[in-house]
Amino acid sequence: MNLLAISINHKTAPVELREALYLNHDEIVSFAENTKDKLFSEGLIVSTCNRTEIYGIPARPNTTFTDLQNTIINYKSVTGLKSEHFQLFQSSEAIKHLFSVATGIDSLLIGDNQIFKQVKDSFQLAEDSHFAGFLMKRIFDSAIRAGKRAITETAISEGAVTVSYAAVQLIEKIFSNLNKKSALVIGAGETGEIAAKHLKERGIGKLAITNRTLERAEKLAEKLQAKTLPFTSFKNFLHEYDIVLSATSSENLIITKDDIKTSMKKRNYNACVFMDIAIPRDIDPEAKSIDYVFYNDIDSLNIIVQQNLSKRKEEIPKVEKIIDEELNSFLSWFNSLEAAPTIKTLRDYFEAVRAEEVDKNKNRFSPEDQEKLEIITKRIINKILHHPTVEIKKFSESGGNTDEAAIKISLIRELFDLDKNGEKEK
Amino acid sequence: MKAVIDFSNFILPFMYLITFGFYFHDFMKGGKKFVNSKRLFLFLTLLFHFFYLLLRTIEFDHPPITNVFEIFTVLAFSVSFSYFILELVTDIRGTGPFIIVFSIVFQVISSLYIQDLLQVKEVLRNHLLGIHVFSALLGYSAITISAVYGFLYLILYKDIKLNKFGLLFDRLPSLEVLERLSFSSAIIGFVLLTFAIIIGIIWLPKAFPNFSYADPKLIGTSMVWILYGIGITNKVLGKLHGKKVILLSIIGFVLAILSTIITNFIARSFHSFY
Repeated sequence: MNLLAISINHKTAPVELREALYLNHDEIVSFAENTKDKLFSEGLIVSTCNRTEIYGIPARPNTTFTDLQNTIINYKSVTGLKSEHFQLFQSSEAIKHLFSVATGIDSLLIGDNQIFKQVKDSFQLAEDSHFAGFLMKRIFDSAIRAGKRAITETAISEGAVTVSYAAVQLIEKIFSNLNKKSALVIGAGETGEIAAKHLKERGIGKLAITNRTLERAEKLAEKLQAKTLPFTSFKNFLHEYDIVLSATSSENLIITKDDIKTSMKKRNYNACVFMDIAIPRDIDPEAKSIDYVFYNDIDSLNIIVQQNLSKRKEEIPKVEKIIDEELNSFLSWFNSLEAAPTIKTLRDYFEAVRAEEVDKNKNRFSPEDQEKLEIITKRIINKILHHPTVEIKKFSESGGNTDEAAIKISLIRELFDLDKNGEKEK
Repeated sequence: MKAVIDFSNFILPFMYLITFGFYFHDFMKGGKKFVNSKRLFLFLTLLFHFFYLLLRTIEFDHPPITNVFEIFTVLAFSVSFSYFILELVTDIRGTGPFIIVFSIVFQVISSLYIQDLLQVKEVLRNHLLGIHVFSALLGYSAITISAVYGFLYLILYKDIKLNKFGLLFDRLPSLEVLERLSFSSAIIGFVLLTFAIIIGIIWLPKAFPNFSYADPKLIGTSMVWILYGIGITNKVLGKLHGKKVILLSIIGFVLAILSTIITNFIARSFHSFY
């Protein structure tokens, strides 16, 4: 299979270069239009913040990886890119790489679910822009199947691998139902916003936001249908919240141990979670000694993240097995495309030779023997072709290396000059 | 029928062991390989155990409460049965190994030493006594389960406080759920013990001429009952929660065990039937 793929990703290039090569929706459509039928007969482009990958079936047989690299570099007018910034894949390796991307094992955050959706969206875009053809659609089906299987059959996407998700995971080990709980997010910056969103997604019952700049808190509160508290007086209401999540850029502690003691007394020592995801810390870590106070900072949340990442890494062999299975299944299908016509042409060729020779010589036989001649020669041809037919079928069904199968099939075609003979018959 | 009873007595510990194996595998591996089959196997084990108890009752013409080893097999059954009901109601399937292990211990001891008594005191054939003992045993099973969940609560509480995010952190339900399971089991245990005590107080003085309110088993059970009563009332009134209620439940369980050991193996009274 003549499939080429180039990839620039977090393993090969720094973020500036990845950003420089990033293609947005419109750029992908325009790039596909520019290259369709000139560089590729069909193709696919995956572009995210961590990777840009181009897959394509070359329109001309002499297309090289350099052509691909130059096309994208020229399209984006990027300087400083070298060939070592690209990973190059050909044929079944290219498909295998795509499956690795779709299943998340090639991601910066192993098992990242987002990439699966991004690959799906990329295929949708390729289909909408008529960049994806018959073969790409089939590759897409297999990639999606591999991605889904990885999620359902392995634990590759299980457990929190970001600090804000780890905070939510930890909260859910303390409280059973977030619907009945209230949370206060201190700090409406990027980290605070992500954490507040996670809490909202998990169905937190009551959400409040406080920030030094009230407008910013109000903006986020409006987005998340939360209420706001004035930064100067939020401590007076601390006891009303089961979860307090702090993510400000303050240089000093915002909540002291005494604040928490007072709050715990007011709430009759009902369990309260304090998540300090700020650097430097916002909440006095000494507070963890108070009964029913569950205090966690970035370091302790990172323990969860690292543990989950290790568990995900242990799942990689299982995902690789799924990838191999899906790849073999795809290659079996692909090889069968070549094998079936070859068997037909080979049989047609032998039948043509047999018919010609019988026709030439049948007058040498009596009318009764002519019929027998017909039967006997057909039986000979069938016997001769039986083994080659079985072997050709095996190439296609084994699902092995597509290139090896292609070489064997092309050897047979060359030996019997099937391409020329096939043309003649047409 | 005797052969069937003997065979069942032999096979029951293995059935509990296999059930435990299924639950333990899922707990350790975190997979869902036996998610439904483990529950099914527990159900089959309980069904088998139920018929075993029924056969004993029919064959020996008395409920299986005439000696401590018969009581152990009833305890093994009631602990796992209570857990099974709890699992069905809550759909929390990860805590099975911690409960079923008690059934294994009770059943192994019972299977090793159980006696087939045909001649028992007439009072032991009484149905009211049967109800009294069974409700007391089910009550104690519920208390055992309450203590196990309480113990798991304390471990998880400590693990979270110390940032130890190991196997128990991964597999156990939330602290709130563990507290709820422990409390619900304690309420069930308390209600059943109340029932057993009421029947006992009404019926025992009539059945036993030497009945005494100073009976150690009665005093021990009453102390356990009072302790659970205090804990439950304070929890309902919102005065106690979390670790304090859990600690009361565990103390109640330890007291119940101590009371059982003292009254069954050391002190002798009208309450000792064998």
